[in-house]
Formats: sequence, C-alpha cells, structure tokens
Amino acid sequence: MSTKKIFALLMFCILFTCAYSTSYAISETGGKQETAISKKIDTKNLSGVNLWIADLYNNDRLLYAIVVTVVMALLGTIMALGTDLVLRYFGINVSKISHSE
Amino acid sequence: MDIFNIYLPVAGIEFNILLLLAIGFCVGVLGGFFGVGGGWIVTPALNIFGFHMAYAIGTDLANIFGQSIGAVKKHQKMGNIDWKLGFISIAASIIGLELGSQVVLILEKEGDVGSIVRWCYLVLMFGLSILMFYDYYSLNPKKKKTEEAKPTKRRVNLAERLHKINLPPMISLPASGIKSVSLWIVIFVFLFTGFLSGFLGVGGGFIRMPALVYLIGVPTVIAVGTDLMSVLFAGAYGCFTYALKGRVEFIAAFIMLIGASIGAQIGATAVKYIKGYGIRLLFAIMITLAGCSIALEQVYKITDIPIFQHIAGIVLMGTAALMTSIIIVRLIMESRKEVKD
Repeated sequence: MSTKKIFALLMFCILFTCAYSTSYAISETGGKQETAISKKIDTKNLSGVNLWIADLYNNDRLLYAIVVTVVMALLGTIMALGTDLVLRYFGINVSKISHSE
Repeated sequence: MDIFNIYLPVAGIEFNILLLLAIGFCVGVLGGFFGVGGGWIVTPALNIFGFHMAYAIGTDLANIFGQSIGAVKKHQKMGNIDWKLGFISIAASIIGLELGSQVVLILEKEGDVGSIVRWCYLVLMFGLSILMFYDYYSLNPKKKKTEEAKPTKRRVNLAERLHKINLPPMISLPASGIKSVSLWIVIFVFLFTGFLSGFLGVGGGFIRMPALVYLIGVPTVIAVGTDLMSVLFAGAYGCFTYALKGRVEFIAAFIMLIGASIGAQIGATAVKYIKGYGIRLLFAIMITLAGCSIALEQVYKITDIPIFQHIAGIVLMGTAALMTSIIIVRLIMESRKEVKD
C-alpha cells in the first residue's frame, strides 16, 4: 500500500471517528444541550470589559469562541515577539542548532 | 493581597492576578522546554485555588494554545520541528484518543473508572521515569568513560530494532535524521500514545515526547519541538470547542497567557543550552515528582483524609516551581558563558 493511500485511509478514519463521536454524544444526551452551554452570566453588577465579555457569552456563544481563540492567538504571537526582543537585547539569541544527545 | 484580586465573570469567582501570572509563567517555561502542554499542572492548580473543574480544563486549553504559538515559532527557528512526523502524529493521535475515550465510556458502565485510570496513570508515570533514569544512567559520560576500555557489544536500542522492521511503505524522516522506518510503525506508536491520552484524559505531551525519543528514535530536542507542534493543534481545537461550550474563563486565560508566553520563550531558548540527555533527566525528575503528587491524591481518595490532597497540591506546585527555577538558572549560566566567549 502506498504512503498516499495510507494517509487517505488515516483521514477517512479521522472523519469517521469525529462523525461517530458526535452522533454518540448526541444519542447519550438525548439531543439535549449540556448545562454549561445554556448557562447565562448575571450582568447586573458588571461593567466595562466584564460586561462586554458577559454579553458576548450570553448572546452569541459562537462569536465568543471565535473571539477567545483569535485573541489567544494574537496575544501569544505578540508576547512571543516582545519576549524574543528582550532576550535578544540581553544577548540570548537563537538560530539553527546542532542536535547533540 | 486583596488589591490583586479580580472578578472573573464566566467562572463567577474572584482570583488573585499574581497567582494567575505565576501559574502561567511556570507552565510556559516547562511547556517550551519539555514540549508538553502542562495541563497536568494548570488544571489541578486552578482547581485547588477555586476554579470549577470544567472551567479549569477549558481555561488551561486556551492558555496552552496561546503559549504554544511562540514556543513552536522558536523551535522552528532552531530547526527542532519535524513537520512530516508532526502531521502523522496529529492524525494518528486523534484516532487513538477517540479509542481511549471509548474504552473509558465502556468501563464507566461497569463501575468506578476513576480509580482504574489513576492507577494506570501512576504506573505509566513511574514506569516512564524509571526508563528515563535508567537511560540517563547508561548514557552518563562518567560511566561511559570507564566502560570504553571494556570491549563490549554495542547496545541496540528499541528504536533501532523498530527501524529494522521492513513493513512497506517505508518513509524517511530527514529532519529527525531517520533514513527509513515503516509508516505503520510510526502510526502504531501514535495510535498507542493517543489511546493512552484518551484513556487517561490528558493532553498526552508527556507520553508523546518520550515515545518519539525511545520508540521512533527522534533526537530529544526535535521530539520536544515536534511534540509542541501537536500540542499547538490540539490546544487550538480544545480552546475553540471549550469556549463554544462556555467553559473558557476568558479573562483568566488572557492574564495567564501573558505569563505563559514569556515563560514559553524562556523555556524554548533554554533547550539550546542543555544536551538531550540533560533534558531527559530533568523530565524524569519532573514526572517522578508529579507521580508522587498523583499517588498522594490516590491516597486521599482511598482514606478520605483531606491533608493528603493538600500535600498533593503543594508537591505539584513545588515541582513546577523547582523545575522552572532549574531551567532559568541553567539558561542564565550558559548564556553568560556564551556572551563571555
């Protein structure tokens, strides 16, 4: 069997696994959503960023998930670049290394 | 310390901002250095300090995703990532993970699965640490010198034996310095590590990294980089899906990531200064101490005496702080030498 065929088989198995696990989860919960999904945050005493996050969380969970994922990626990248600059300033720079065991 | 407390609206609790930064920093250093996600530190740590378990897992995954980005970039710059192997690892691990979680579901119907999982976790952690200590001892330069005089037969390791299995198609992994290995062997190894992570309910970085070294024969630093790449993809998926379920505490993940990103850069840079067997020795010490923490947790479950749970938490946090300190001290010492030279 060629490498390409094995990769195709692997991808099929992944898709099958995802589809199967989703249908299994739905059948186990009887199609009902989990409690965490339907949870709402009480916004009475909130203001500023907390209120914005709570509103996003309560009103559009998909948008909340997208915002969280994108912000984490952006912050991770920016902080990595910043730390890299600081380390370089102190003379700690990295380049391709030889791998010694 | 009340002035550092902030309200976290999603988890609905108050939390100390300095504690979040410290947890993030420690897990970042360890993640960047060992190529692990560090969920086994963050999740219990957040849980001990008041997070509900579901939010602790979701928040941890969001943090893992963010911190891995910078660490992967740094490892890529150092040539520590085998992309081909990484993609096979992701694909096979997903299937293995699902198989492992299905076994847990079956066992759940039979009775107390938690106890079985914890015992397996313990056996795996102590087994791995014994293997890695033995490996360090056999590679110890002092011992090697004394043995060089004796004309002994060269020890063939497990990875070399697996490379000799001629089961087509054979693939080469030039980035890892592997000329030929059966694709089936590679897939089987990742199916197995994926199965273990699904069964134990962990990210699996601490299982994959030694598996890459001892079963596939990848150099340690490439194992660290390649494993981090898998951690990045798993973290991205986990962050999104947990956020969709409302289980990511956004503000906590954001603050933790500030500490973790800085830590991950420091940890990934430290890899440059420590040799492969040194990394494996530190890894062995870390999983031994983490194993002790899980053993104490198990004692608590059996005896129901709360002091064991407290000690388990202290051992876990102490391990993270100790390993972080060792890595930073080594980085400072070695980089000073480099600057002087």
